[in-house]
Amino acid sequence: MDMLSTISTVSPSPLQTLLSDPKLLQTTHPAELLTLAFQIQHNLQYQHSWTALRLHTHSPITNKPLPRPLLSGLPAQRLYVHPEEQIHLLKEAEKRRKAASKDGEDDAGLDFKPEPEREWILPTRLSEKWTLNRLSEVFNGIDMVPAAPESADEGETKVNKWRTTKRLVLATVDADSTVVYYIVHDGVVKPRQN
Amino acid sequence: MAQDSSVEPFAISRIAERYLLFDVDVVTYVRREHNICGVLIGTIPHLSQQNIFLGIPLELMPEEARLLVEGGHAYIVEDVSAHKKGFLEMDRKDRLAFMQLMDQRGMELSLNAKRKAEDRSEKALQQRGLAQGKKENIVPKAPADEEVLKGKNDSPGFEDTSLFSLESSPAPQPPVSQQMPPHFVTPTTSHPPLTSFVPHTSSLPTVPRTYPLFKYLHSKRYFSTPGLRFGCHYTVYPGDPLRFHSHFLATGLDWDEEFDLLDIVGGGRLGTGVKKAYLVGGQNVRERTGEVRAFSIEWAGL
Repeated sequence: MDMLSTISTVSPSPLQTLLSDPKLLQTTHPAELLTLAFQIQHNLQYQHSWTALRLHTHSPITNKPLPRPLLSGLPAQRLYVHPEEQIHLLKEAEKRRKAASKDGEDDAGLDFKPEPEREWILPTRLSEKWTLNRLSEVFNGIDMVPAAPESADEGETKVNKWRTTKRLVLATVDADSTVVYYIVHDGVVKPRQN
Repeated sequence: MAQDSSVEPFAISRIAERYLLFDVDVVTYVRREHNICGVLIGTIPHLSQQNIFLGIPLELMPEEARLLVEGGHAYIVEDVSAHKKGFLEMDRKDRLAFMQLMDQRGMELSLNAKRKAEDRSEKALQQRGLAQGKKENIVPKAPADEEVLKGKNDSPGFEDTSLFSLESSPAPQPPVSQQMPPHFVTPTTSHPPLTSFVPHTSSLPTVPRTYPLFKYLHSKRYFSTPGLRFGCHYTVYPGDPLRFHSHFLATGLDWDEEFDLLDIVGGGRLGTGVKKAYLVGGQNVRERTGEVRAFSIEWAGL
């Protein structure tokens, strides 16, 4: 105690800050799952330029603890475009291009840039075993679109009418800290035409 | 397109635990009306990629057979016992009628063969300039020849086999056919002679644990074909496989069956590589409703 008080002018170490994080003190999840979530969060933030990342320990629907801590965040670009939405967007882009060429502007590509959407992220380790039951429990705990953190003011949040099934990004990390990301849809969703 | 529901319920033959359809009308019917493709195995079944030249029978997956039976569209016939029973216990009248039919066919065949042989020899003679054109030269000779031969051979059928006598006198067909032995015909179908089976299924086809997923996808009007090519259980098409590319590589699992995440990653990667999604699903046995839940997996592109 005496030691602590004497060096109180020194700022606490990052580890101590992390451990004394009130959010982490509330949760009942095992520490290794939290560490995993932070590892994925770090990877998304610094390797894939995601923003507004947020840790979820409780379900937004039932307010009960989630099977494991989940993340949510905003990718730099739109991560997933449903094939039907893609067709719609292409048609819109075609209309814009035609209008532009009428106005005399040439060189208007068929480009469309859908707004990025917030995504759920399920952090996992490659060594884990999963079952359909566990996967469906995770899906039962999440809603369609994750809520933005209180701090991040995104302004108007447009509802994407094409987003009709729950989805999450399955982040799997191997022992060498490679992370792979796969989109998992809740239900039979037809594939994208890449 | 005629809705020929008259084929229902149709028989699925169970032979050595394989489910086979032998009627081409039924084969097209199940594909059109029930989204069931099966696999044609009529020839070279070990070349499953080579699927243009295969014919009937159509082999159904046990899942497909089960689905059709459960829907009341078909019934399972134990082919071996049905044939044994059908042929051994066939009554005298049917047996005689069928033998007569076979004889008739055989006679038609041998007459045909005879006609063909005659045509051939006539053609050959014409090519050598012996027949028709120079007939006048030959005909006068014929009686003399015949007399000589008759002296040697008293066989009553001999005249008929002689080319010249046949040409000079219009061939008396009926007596010829009576003397000719009929060909022996091997029947290629068992219906006839067998009458139709009793539409009754004694035991449902045993299906793998992936059946709930198969049934679920079928209820959503998807077509499924075996998925070995992509290392999964079913390749799932949104319409007839002849018209559409497949959408999903489906793997059926038990609700509490553990799987490696590497399987999900590998399946997702493979699926995305071939413009499909990897699908895992199974029946929730914990709930009384027993609903099937499926998850589609695609590479995120990160």
